[in-house]
Amino acid sequence: MTAAPAPRPTLVRFVFSSVGHLFRGPPLYWLWVLLLLALIALGGWHYWLQLRDGLVVTNMTNQVSWGFYIANFTFLVGVAAAAVMLVVPAYIFHRRDIKDVVLMGDTMAIAAVTMAILFVVVDLGRPDRFWHLIPGIGRFNFPESMLAWDVIVLNGYLLLNLGISFYIVYHHYRGEDPKASRYFPWVLLAIFWAISIHTVTAFLYAANSGRPYWHNALLAPRFIASAFASGPAMMALGLQIIRAISDYPIRQSVINHLALVATIALQVTLFFLLAELFTEFYNEGEHAASARYLFLGLDGHSGLTPWIWTAVVLLSIAVVILMIHPLRHNPLTMNIAFVLIIVGVWIEKGMGLIVPAFVPTPIGEIYEYTPSLTEIMVSVGIWAIGLLLFTLLAKAALPVQCEFLRRQRASEQQSWDGVERRHNAA
Amino acid sequence: MVIDTRTCIGCGDCVVACKNENKVPVGLNRDWVVEATRGEYPNLETEFRSERCNHCSHATCVTSCPTGASHHWKDSNIVLVAAEKCTGCKACIAACPYDARLIMHPDGYVDKCTFCHHRVDQGLDPACVSSCPTHCMHFGNLDDRDSVVSRLLRERRHKVLMPETGNQPHVYYLT
Repeated sequence: MTAAPAPRPTLVRFVFSSVGHLFRGPPLYWLWVLLLLALIALGGWHYWLQLRDGLVVTNMTNQVSWGFYIANFTFLVGVAAAAVMLVVPAYIFHRRDIKDVVLMGDTMAIAAVTMAILFVVVDLGRPDRFWHLIPGIGRFNFPESMLAWDVIVLNGYLLLNLGISFYIVYHHYRGEDPKASRYFPWVLLAIFWAISIHTVTAFLYAANSGRPYWHNALLAPRFIASAFASGPAMMALGLQIIRAISDYPIRQSVINHLALVATIALQVTLFFLLAELFTEFYNEGEHAASARYLFLGLDGHSGLTPWIWTAVVLLSIAVVILMIHPLRHNPLTMNIAFVLIIVGVWIEKGMGLIVPAFVPTPIGEIYEYTPSLTEIMVSVGIWAIGLLLFTLLAKAALPVQCEFLRRQRASEQQSWDGVERRHNAA
Repeated sequence: MVIDTRTCIGCGDCVVACKNENKVPVGLNRDWVVEATRGEYPNLETEFRSERCNHCSHATCVTSCPTGASHHWKDSNIVLVAAEKCTGCKACIAACPYDARLIMHPDGYVDKCTFCHHRVDQGLDPACVSSCPTHCMHFGNLDDRDSVVSRLLRERRHKVLMPETGNQPHVYYLT
């Protein structure tokens, strides 16, 4: 970006110049960062209260022992996994337009998986004993415990995405093409790993044979389907914001691709939901008690019923919007649909999935759950950490990417025109 | 453990004995009495069941625990929690089909029935069994064919709770 002759690109210079980018920005950028920092401070304060007094400050009980934190965790693992919806077309099908922005998908995955890990940490009653989960130091119940698997796959996914992104951005900074033979095997691994993080998370719930609401084979497919709806919706929103506030070249064909993926995934999600409802309610047995509590209310308790129907209505409106082609290509209606998907899936896969499994309890008691102020504030803090992480990573990587793409375009002007025509036709 | 639902009168002495013996904090219980009513008036049937951890041989709480804090004691079926290893992740609470685990222990770990293994080690019965005024509860070794519990299960009709979960529970109810 500077006019002076470029200094020899070393790793140290790369780090310094990336960090330098973080401290240069318009007032709006600083306002945004300060807002996020304030929210993080607020969340941090409430987390300190939780650490001091214990989980008793949450509304989780012996009966409903996982709540708002684990709900957000589940949603975010899905968002992280959905990065493959950019990675696969970019690296496997060599879509040039998507390859230009695939790094933003990785960045979102890094932010989402970091948030997911933080949500597990704040859900721990004794985070000071977390070291028992670190292989080598503690004795880790692997491979029996699904939670042990989750620790491995989530941290592995974080490292994979950090490694791949860093490798590519660093080579772009040096003005070189990253060597495919060096990063492609890791990309392949990351694709399978992305599916695995969400599958393992689903298995964490499905493994509990005493919770009929979770104990079914459709849980993992449902997770993946709704993740591929909410993740691309989030990515499409993020990419459009980046396009609006920077000169990073993001083609509309990328947004259209994400909209199409979200449409199909949402159709599958709703079909799975229907299959689930049919199985639960056609011949309703004892095992349907949780589903009845969620959708219709049980013995006068219906705390979650308005929530889940909100989600069903939002997702239904979104799928209608996205299935009508003119509406899907209209930026306004398309973005409305994206927001509806994100909110709808967040409810359906968050509170709508975690809490009903505990209601009624296996011995038939009904304890309802709503998050406490502490839980909401800590969650807001974690979301702010994720948004800040995404902002900073994008801020550091974008100038490098813009510079690289500009140079690449200048050198490939002729062939580039052909590619542009092909994708704009889509 | 074998519990005779035909002689249990639902007095709750087992609950009190457990709280005394194990210093269970106020507001928490490691065992409880369920009063299950079946049928329609006037043909009603009531069953009292003193319930607690079922000390399963395939205990889903033990398999789900990420740190190995939940474990089987000395090759027995008695499931214990090593408090100093418990991170409070609550995976075991989700995994338990009997709702037998308590997160709200003030010292910060998941608490549960231990079958009073400290008493069993000395050849005594668990506190709940010793305190039962109708002698409806029996404790012993099912591997020993001559033990009272083995004989009761041979001679009487019995059931376990939620066998469909595959947990292989070891609290038997004579019906």
